[in-house]
Amino acid sequence: MANTLLLISSLPEDKIFATEIALTTGLSLRQVAEPTEGASILANEDAPIVFADVSSERLYQQFEDAIQEKVGLFSDKTNSNRIHLLSSEDLVAVPYLIKSPLFGHYIMRNYPNPQTAGQHYGRIVKATLADRPFGLSRLLKPGCKTQVIKLNLSSQKHSAVEAVKAYLLTAKFQSRMATVIANAVDELLMNAMFDAPVDDLGKATLNSTPRSNILHLEGKSAVEMHVGFDGEYVGISAIDFYGSLDKVKLLSHISKIYAKEEYKIRTAVAGAGIGLATVFRSGGSFFFVSENRTQTEVVVFFKKTDNFREFKDQFRFISTQFYF
Amino acid sequence: MPRQQIFTKILVGCHVVNVTKEQKGNLLAIRLVGSIEETVNFDDLLGVPSGDIEINCKEIPRINSVGVKAWIKYFQGCQAKGIKISFIECSTAIVEQINLISNFTCGGSVESIFVPFSCTQCKSELVGLFKTEDLKKMELKIPDLKCSKCGNKAVFDDIPEEFFGFLVR
Repeated sequence: MANTLLLISSLPEDKIFATEIALTTGLSLRQVAEPTEGASILANEDAPIVFADVSSERLYQQFEDAIQEKVGLFSDKTNSNRIHLLSSEDLVAVPYLIKSPLFGHYIMRNYPNPQTAGQHYGRIVKATLADRPFGLSRLLKPGCKTQVIKLNLSSQKHSAVEAVKAYLLTAKFQSRMATVIANAVDELLMNAMFDAPVDDLGKATLNSTPRSNILHLEGKSAVEMHVGFDGEYVGISAIDFYGSLDKVKLLSHISKIYAKEEYKIRTAVAGAGIGLATVFRSGGSFFFVSENRTQTEVVVFFKKTDNFREFKDQFRFISTQFYF
Repeated sequence: MPRQQIFTKILVGCHVVNVTKEQKGNLLAIRLVGSIEETVNFDDLLGVPSGDIEINCKEIPRINSVGVKAWIKYFQGCQAKGIKISFIECSTAIVEQINLISNFTCGGSVESIFVPFSCTQCKSELVGLFKTEDLKKMELKIPDLKCSKCGNKAVFDDIPEEFFGFLVR
């Protein structure tokens, strides 16, 4: 039973999606329709990976209640690193998931093809089964080469971003797609340089430092960028060695939109707090891996599509893996 | 009144933002060229306008989150001083921000935008300049263009409800 991928959903597309993930991970798929049934399986046995259809708040609540009653919300069996929540709703429409103690992975079920989406996401899930899923190459198709760029100064960010853009244009991405991806890289690097550094007590040391200041990125403050394109997906990661990523803050930022309410400038912090949300809204998927006080790796994925409309509306997820 | 053109080239870090200013009566026409990032200081770049301003955004290919913050801070300052702001020839990158952030234009009017198209045959990317008042009349039905490279049909290439969202806000 420790080799089970448990799917709690009655939707056929979820089954196709999960079947591909089971194939990629080597796990055996077991599908149930009801959250209570799934929770009973978890209580009595073990499943390293759980997918649950939480398309509505009612469905989510049923899932949480069943887990609470039969397993416990804070059991090892329901560690959020194992829980993958499936929803047809955009992130802004599911605030109950953002606040959920079970939030580990959110999958926006807009798969144009659940099979190929499952193949891509399967690599993420497979990585999460490892001891520490750091490293970009395992998240892309086998054999995909990745390049490593080490930045010595924060002022090199602009050149790094432009280099990624040039690389994508060479790989025949539309220029508008390349620009969106370049902007995502910009945000990831800026966060790694200025938001990751903390003192011994975990207090941010540079969050009020103007982003135009030039930092020396040495020792603990080193920042790396890895880039790879497997012919379908481009993956770009930014790595810092503080391991200070805060899940609550992260989810709050990434789910916030200002299309209706006003964006208010916070002068106490130098960052804008809108970078990751913009990347997600532009079609990017995220895989955050953070080991406390050791390392954080943020990976963004974009699929190369024939047109920008498909690019913006592509299959997306926000996946988090925290180790303490 | 003779037109006065002032060219400013600000070297910020390792990238350049070019500014062209042209006084047209009471209106200061400003053209920004380059990516708007954390190194751009709008106060240094544009100063304090004495009258109304018109910002040409055609050649702003990219704006990052800190650039957005600086943009809003500067133009909110203009808004507070009662300066009338208009944005013309907005690039797709700027249109995306206008849609994502309700107060990105700081009370200014968006006069015209570049609309993205993709050729159905050769897949070339094209843009067409449209006045926002014309777009409102079209009700999201954007006419196809003729591809300038192969002559085939080029269709609107974005999600209409998202790209034109600001028009109905």
